[in-house]
Amino acid sequence: MRKKLVSLLLAVAMTAGMLAGCGSGSGGSGSGSGEGAGESGGSGGEYDLTLYSINTTDPDFDTWLSDVEEATGLNINVIAAPTDSDTRQQKITTILSTGDASVDIIEINDEMSSAFKNSGWLEGLNDTVMTDDIVDSFAKGYVENMITDKDGNIIGVPGYTGYLAFWVNQEIMDEVGITSIDTKEDFLKYMEAVSGDGRYGYGGSWEKTYVFNEIAQFVNMFGGDYFDWTKEENKEAIQFLYDMVQNGQTPIDEIADKYEQMNPKANDGKYGSWFMWGLGTDYESAGMLGEDKIHMAMVPSFTEDGSRYVFTDSWNYVLNSASKNKDAAIKFLQYMADEGGMKASYECFDRYPARTDVAEKIVPDSDPAKEMYSRYATECTVSGRPMLPQTMEFITDMGTIFQSCMQGDLSVDDFCTQAQELVDKYSE
Amino acid sequence: MAVSKRSMKWIPWLLILPVVIIRGFTTLYPILVTVKNSFFDIKILAGVDEFVGLANYVNVFKDAKVQTSVIFTVMFVVVSMFFHILLGVALAMILNMKFKGRRFLRTIVLIPWAMPTVVAGMAAKWAFNNDYGLINDFVRRFFSDFQFNWLIHTGSARAAVIAVDLWKDLPFFAILVLSGLQFISEDIYEAARVDGANGIQCFTRITLPLIAQNVLTLCIPFTLWRLTSFDLVYAMTSGGPGEDTALIAYRITTEAFTNLNVGYAATLAVMLFLVMALFSFINMRFISKISD
Repeated sequence: MRKKLVSLLLAVAMTAGMLAGCGSGSGGSGSGSGEGAGESGGSGGEYDLTLYSINTTDPDFDTWLSDVEEATGLNINVIAAPTDSDTRQQKITTILSTGDASVDIIEINDEMSSAFKNSGWLEGLNDTVMTDDIVDSFAKGYVENMITDKDGNIIGVPGYTGYLAFWVNQEIMDEVGITSIDTKEDFLKYMEAVSGDGRYGYGGSWEKTYVFNEIAQFVNMFGGDYFDWTKEENKEAIQFLYDMVQNGQTPIDEIADKYEQMNPKANDGKYGSWFMWGLGTDYESAGMLGEDKIHMAMVPSFTEDGSRYVFTDSWNYVLNSASKNKDAAIKFLQYMADEGGMKASYECFDRYPARTDVAEKIVPDSDPAKEMYSRYATECTVSGRPMLPQTMEFITDMGTIFQSCMQGDLSVDDFCTQAQELVDKYSE
Repeated sequence: MAVSKRSMKWIPWLLILPVVIIRGFTTLYPILVTVKNSFFDIKILAGVDEFVGLANYVNVFKDAKVQTSVIFTVMFVVVSMFFHILLGVALAMILNMKFKGRRFLRTIVLIPWAMPTVVAGMAAKWAFNNDYGLINDFVRRFFSDFQFNWLIHTGSARAAVIAVDLWKDLPFFAILVLSGLQFISEDIYEAARVDGANGIQCFTRITLPLIAQNVLTLCIPFTLWRLTSFDLVYAMTSGGPGEDTALIAYRITTEAFTNLNVGYAATLAVMLFLVMALFSFINMRFISKISD
């Protein structure tokens, strides 16, 4: 009997202990959904706003945070966003869709912008942050395509500008005696001159979730429309890529490649040209970045009117509609859209300023990207990538049928038919 | 006294209550919610959440992506389990032999199993790369002109995924079979040899019958793990080329966590759950028949 009593007491104590453990809240302000390990921020217990950031692993993050806090006078609580893209998207979707007010400012990429911009989960910033006096300094095409909702509300502040730049290997260009790749004819000449013996004129990253960047780029270059696959120009673009595969000017192997597989090949001189985001960090690490080695070049014009097209991307700071700290959040966003915020991001994270006027002012001429980025901004039609709300499904499905087409399992005509069906399906 | 004993019958229930609560919350509740969700069309990104009855279940049979996944999953499970048994028993026999360095070998064969699947998958993605991979590097030592990208063709990509799965989990299977082998007394083999049995007869008449139940029991969790495996293809092929290596669990994960089609993913999960339950039931019946 005594043993039973003791057992009973122990069970009750254990249950109570567990329940108490489950219920023990942080009690602190700020991060209702935040994982303790991922939080950092001001020294005080009271925060003015909570930022869900992707940059916390950057070694200069603390410097950036101090700069922002000092400049804005805000005490910012930071929650580290998961590094895995799927997990990050799930968490952010959950926060926004459930009206969770524990996070005020979130950094989202283009895929998430496309998915969320018409959901009503994000606050319009036209009157407070992205005002008429500064909005024209951002890439117009990007703002319209990516961060403007169906009612004309701008829902984000681009944290930087990145271009899907055209890269060439100068050593290969010198070897084959081609000085510039300005037109479609130049491009084809370069393909023929470079390709052979395990080397290709063009290299890509055609893994099914990556390839849509290049499909859309070539569709644009041919003057097509990614959302209208009845256009002859779209078909020409796909036929052009297919022919490059058949002619050995680009390898079919790249359908398994993401950027981490493509870049070593570029560094090893296997590719004469390619499209790639960013400022060439991988090439720099390999000692291959430079005017005489691997460098950015102007995107060739494939159309008779001489039009040039380039995609831009960004991570945007957005304001959660459910936020209870909107005044502080707007103050933060105003700073990020201003020269000071962009300078801090450029200096700490190497993020190229999203505003052209600010870039002109704060990026030194010694920055190798400055000249080409300025030319892209002024000489090309700059736009955001073509995405639909069910972003990843659309991207993956397009990538899947593209891979089939390039492998010869699907004709170019059938690809265009199926692509249009996907556009219709995901536009509903 | 008898009345008192009866009145104390609730005490065991009380004692297991914490575990029941935890189990209920972490297992039963998710299962019930998943079953409920399977009757709804829930697309978080599109803001859709409506009851659709059995529509999701009907759509599963029309979905070409799911059909491809089912085909590869069946292939993956059958081929992988076949070689698990075949090579697992062989490896266990080798590890059961008496030779110098046996203990060292038993330890190192488990290294692949101890490696996280995602890490193994990422390493395998590079290993099968035509330009930089160690597989082709090895082959080129014998055929210098050999060029082949394993992960871009349906057949070779599927074979590569199965091979990596075997490389990773086979040693664990073998070690578990080995534990069964060690229960077989040496006296039985000695008696058989005295009666004139050769090595093959010893294996087929003594070893195999005595480890059969052990191997069949092992087949239950190993098959279920194969059915729910998604991390290997997630890291190694992302389901490609196209959807050809997308295992059914990978498709469920993609629908649930990338596409955020929660209702449809729940439907697939429920169907997979039923298949797994059926498989376990049949296997257990089979084992009990053998033991009888």
